[in-house]
This record gives sequence, C-alpha cells and structure tokens, in this order.
Amino acid sequence: MKFTCSTKDIAAAVGAASKIVNAHSTVPILSNVLLTSTDDAIRVRATDLEVTLEHVFPGEVSEPGSVTVPARLFSGYLGNLPPGLMELNGTPTRATVKCERSNYDFHALPPDEYPPLPSTQKGTTFAIDAKRFREGINATIFAASGEEARGAVLMGTLLEVAGDQFTMVATDGYRLAKWQTTLSRPLEDEGTIKYIVPSRALAEAARNLGGAETVEISALGPAGNQLAFAAQHTSIVVRLVDGQYPNYGQVIPAQFDRSVTVNTSALIAGLRRAELVAGDRASMVKISVANQQLIITANSDTTGNAYEELEVEQTGDDLTIAFNARYLVEILNHVDAPQIKMEFLGPLSPAAIRPSDESEGVRQMYVLMPLRQ
Amino acid sequence: MIAHFDLDAFYAAVAQLDDPSLRGRPIAVSGDHRRSVVLTASYEARPFGVRSAMPLYKARQACSELVVVPPTFTRYRELSRACFAIFESGSIAVEGLSLDEAFVEFDAEEFKEAVEYARRMRERIRTEIGLTASAGVAMQKMVAKIACDDGKPDGLKWVPPGTEAAYLAPLPVGRLWGVGPKTQQRLAAERIETIGQLAELSDERILRLFGRWGRELRELARGHDDRKVESDRETRSVSSETTFEYDVADPGDLRRTLHELSADVAQRLAAQQLRGTMIGIKIKREDFTTVGRQTTVAEPTADLETIVAAALLCLDRADLEGRAVRLLGVRVASLVEYPTSQLSIFG
Repeated sequence: MKFTCSTKDIAAAVGAASKIVNAHSTVPILSNVLLTSTDDAIRVRATDLEVTLEHVFPGEVSEPGSVTVPARLFSGYLGNLPPGLMELNGTPTRATVKCERSNYDFHALPPDEYPPLPSTQKGTTFAIDAKRFREGINATIFAASGEEARGAVLMGTLLEVAGDQFTMVATDGYRLAKWQTTLSRPLEDEGTIKYIVPSRALAEAARNLGGAETVEISALGPAGNQLAFAAQHTSIVVRLVDGQYPNYGQVIPAQFDRSVTVNTSALIAGLRRAELVAGDRASMVKISVANQQLIITANSDTTGNAYEELEVEQTGDDLTIAFNARYLVEILNHVDAPQIKMEFLGPLSPAAIRPSDESEGVRQMYVLMPLRQ
Repeated sequence: MIAHFDLDAFYAAVAQLDDPSLRGRPIAVSGDHRRSVVLTASYEARPFGVRSAMPLYKARQACSELVVVPPTFTRYRELSRACFAIFESGSIAVEGLSLDEAFVEFDAEEFKEAVEYARRMRERIRTEIGLTASAGVAMQKMVAKIACDDGKPDGLKWVPPGTEAAYLAPLPVGRLWGVGPKTQQRLAAERIETIGQLAELSDERILRLFGRWGRELRELARGHDDRKVESDRETRSVSSETTFEYDVADPGDLRRTLHELSADVAQRLAAQQLRGTMIGIKIKREDFTTVGRQTTVAEPTADLETIVAAALLCLDRADLEGRAVRLLGVRVASLVEYPTSQLSIFG
C-alpha cells in the first residue's frame, strides 16, 4: 500500500486511535493500529476488542492496501512531524514514512492478523445531534461506578430510547445521573430500547464525535450486542454490557416535600472549603436549611470546624442532612446552570438536584443518597 | 500459645472504679427488686457467702453491710472495649467469651515470652483502665482457662508445655470442660474424682462409660486440647497474607508485596466501613520462625498510603538482615466503625 496525506490529518487520526489501544495487552497485534488505504481515503483503526474506533481522512492513494504499526510509537512520531505532506509505504512487515528530509522504517505486523471489524449488519438505528449527545455523555458517565468489583452493569451507562425520548442514566449506587432529550426523528414501533454501554466507550465517543453534526447510533450484529456510533469521519463500535440495568425509575422519588434554590457556584465554593476540613471523615458535610438560609458545617478532631452560610430560596420544612461533599460537588460541577434546585424528603432519603431553569430541549437531574451520621 | 483473661468481679470492680467510696466495701451488682439476683459480688462480699446468681434478699441476709448498686451496661461495654483493645494489640487472635473474658493467642517463639506478654497486658489493664484481670497461660485453651481460675483474683498462672497433665491431675474432674453434674455423678460412681484418674482410664472402660465422647474427655484430661482461638476478628481486625512460592529475600519484592497486601486490606476496610489504628505485619522466615511487628497511628485509618507507610516501617523494624521470607502478612486492628455511612440508592 502507498499513500500521501497531510501530517496533521494522520497525526490526529492515529493519536485518537492510540488512546483505545490497551498498553498492557499481551496480544502484540492489539498494540498496533491498522491503516487501510482505499480509493482516496485512509482509515485508521484501533481496538481493545471491547471498543473499536475508526477514523477516516482524505489522502492520495496510489496503491490500496493495509499495514499495522505500533500505536504509541507511531503516534509519538507523527505528533513530532512538521505540518505538510508525508508519504507512507506499507508492506506486511514494514511501514516506511517519508516526510521532507526524514525517512523512517517501522516494524509492522501482518494486517490480515488484525481483528476484523465487528459485524456491519445494522439493526435499530436512530440519530442524535452530536453536540447534544456529547453534553449528555458529560452529564452522566461520571456517576457510573468505577469499581470492577461491583460489576460491569454499574460501570456502564444506560441508553434508553422510547419514541422521540432519548434518556441516559448512570449510577454507582450512591448517586444517579439522568439526562433526557428529544430526538428530532422519533424511533417508531420499537417500544422502549435499552443499551448498557461501557462508560469509557462513551467517553471516547464524546472525545471523537463531538465535532460532527449528527451521530448515528445503530445496533450491530445478528444478536444486536454491539452498538455503533457513527459521525462524518469517525465511528466507534462497542460491545454492549450484558445484564439487567437497575430499575432507576423506582428509586427516584416522584415527589419531594421541601426544596432550596441556590446559587450553584457559591454552593460549590462553600462545599469545597468545608470538604477540606471534613477530609478525614468520609468527606462528610452537614447541610442545614432554615429561615431561607443554607448552612454548611463540617468538623474533624484533627483539622477543625467549618461553617458556611448561604442565602437560599426555601420551600417546605427545615431540614438537616449529611452528604459526602465530594459526590455533591461532582454533581454540581456537571449542572450547567447558574442556579440549582435541591429537593428533599428527609435526612435519610434521596435528594434530587437539578438546574432551577431547564435549558431548552434537555432535562437533567441527579439523585444523591445522604450519609447516615 | 494462649492466654485466658478474666476481669476480676468485673461489674463490681467497675462500680468501685467509678465510685471510690465503694472501694473496700462488700458490694453486689443487682437490680433492686424483690426477686432480683446478684449479677456480681465484689471480693469483699464473697467471704460472707455472697455469690453470683444468688437471690438478692438472701445476699442481704448473708451480709448486712452489703451495698447494692445497679448495673451500668453502657459503662461495662466501654471498659470491656478498652480491655479488648489491649488484648488486640500484640496478639494474633482474640476470642471474646463475654464482656469480661477472652482467649488471646500470642505469636511467641518461647513460652516465657507469652507469659511476659500476658503479664504486660495485665499491667496495662491495671494502669490504663484501673481494673484487675487474672490470666492463665498455656498451650491449650482449656488449660489456660483452668490456670486463670486458679490464679483468681488478680493472679497470673502459667502451665509450661509438657506439664499440662501433671498440672491437671490433682484437680477435681468437675473442672474439665464438658463435665457437668451428671457426668460427675457417673464418674463418682466409678470412684473417679480427679482429672488424673480420668486421664488414666483404659480405652475399654472409657468407651463403656461414655462411648466415643469419653475418649475426647480423656484427651482433655491429659491436657490435649487442639481447639483454636476462634478470633472474632471479622470486626476486630482485617488482614491479608501471602505465602511465597519461593522464599523471597529481595527487599524490593517484599516492599511490593506489602503494598499489594495493604491495598487488599485497605479495600476491605473501606468495604466494611472500618478504620483501624493498629497496623502490623507478620513475617514467617525460611526457618519457619514467625515475627510480628506493629505500629499505631493517631487517627483510625483505612487509607492505603498510611497503611503502606506503617507496614514498610514495620518491615524495616523486623531486621531481616537479608534473610529470606516464606510468608508475609499485613493487618489493621483496633478497628472503629466509620462515623458515617453512605446510604445506597438500591437499598
């Protein structure tokens, strides 16, 4: 194979692909990216067998074919090339790159050993605005579990489609993020469709697909156990998590009996300061609401006492409730609104956090469980 | 090596500890109803015949100066925990039998070392808590308990390995575990009154008397008791250890292993929402001798870095001098529950 392309294009494509590669893989070919030239496009693919990313960029192909090169090494090399054109010449065992007056030879592995693309047979397909989708990913995946010990289901994020409603949910069992938007074209006659997607695949999708206009999401394969996210130049295929997602609808209280509306950044700042004092006590801060005021307190035998007072808009009874400050701050950091509304039922019941004014077309809410003192 | 500890007249001693005016006086801890019974009598009350489980009115008849104080269980639990914390530090297992009684297993190379550990624990209970504990030290649980009872009050008795049978022999059979009034009657009918006599019974006779259970009884009488100290450590310590496939002498390897074991311990502490102040390591050397080192931190911790730092400190203190290690373990004890717990969405 042989092609000429812009150093910037190929560096970006290989750079993105190399992030998928598992640095600790024991299968040598999985440390490589696959470069394929067809007609007048070049494709770069990387996989860790769970997530596959493919990026397409233009080039002048003089000889179609494939080559595989070590991802990290090649990406590092490309990142240091000057802007301009380069020529790549690939054989099953070697990739030769010429760029201006530099000439490099990389050891390659036979491309026919590279894992084939997962099935391309498309099932259910729907489309979503790319920027919206990225917002949804950013608003939810942080709440998914990071502990392998707690299982792949909670490490995943739920994607749910029902008619024109697209919902994403992530929870680690202590907090829950829910984000919802309306699709411009409803999915008809499919009932409610649910996919549990490994959250890190969604992180890759947010990173790689956000620049496009729309993302097409399709189930792949005869069993529908893969999901493809495709945008103009990039596609990500991910193996779905097999399992039953917890019935989140059941645990979100339908009604709350008291609430506060408060300035988001003031609350974040107060919590961060208080958390410093609470540090060695499971980051416990107490929030007391009374007389249109919200008081944050924290204390520790080793560090001292914290007291923060904020003006709020209070409805319903007074309340004192304890939270892990870290969880609460993390949630607040993901609410893109100047004012948030926190709703409560009692000191041991789930609390809800949402923007006080909903931005257009999106419904976002978080549930956080308190700490028992 | 096992020690049996028993706090002397615990409830009564607590009352005397907290109210100096009661010291030196005969007291009984009891409810104050007509049908109440004595829970504990102080040693001053015992010469009058006041005993545990005796109806209170009888106790008052026996001792006219008897001061009756109500039980204060919260206070008992508090002081009991303090004593158990002392048992925990410097032992490899603690089996609590009640608030005032425990088996403690020591990791000692020589018997006299275990006796020394027990002596120090008694001393700490006296100076740090203000109570007295009796202790018996032996290789077996039952012998340790019997020795402890023999030392009461405020005594320390030990039965060196090999002398168990001789120690037990003159004692009445009723002192053996499992010998209740009925068994005692049957033994008495056979003119067996001492543990030594029971120990010498022939297979045939013991089988005829008690069936297979008789053999076990005779083993006990001979001072053979392989029951282990059943550590109730689920809540008292969290540990992780590993036996190497090959003996390891490389300090780097040992440090890495300590790190892994600490990570395991930290994770389990977090999962159980516990933190501890005692961090220790256990090393079995290539010659199968075992050493333990431990250190305490000021604030209860489940933090990996803290545990690793403490474990490495202990490793330095173990003075291996390049000798190879077969087994390495990390333990965090003197545990407290997290002051808070994160509630879960899914119950």
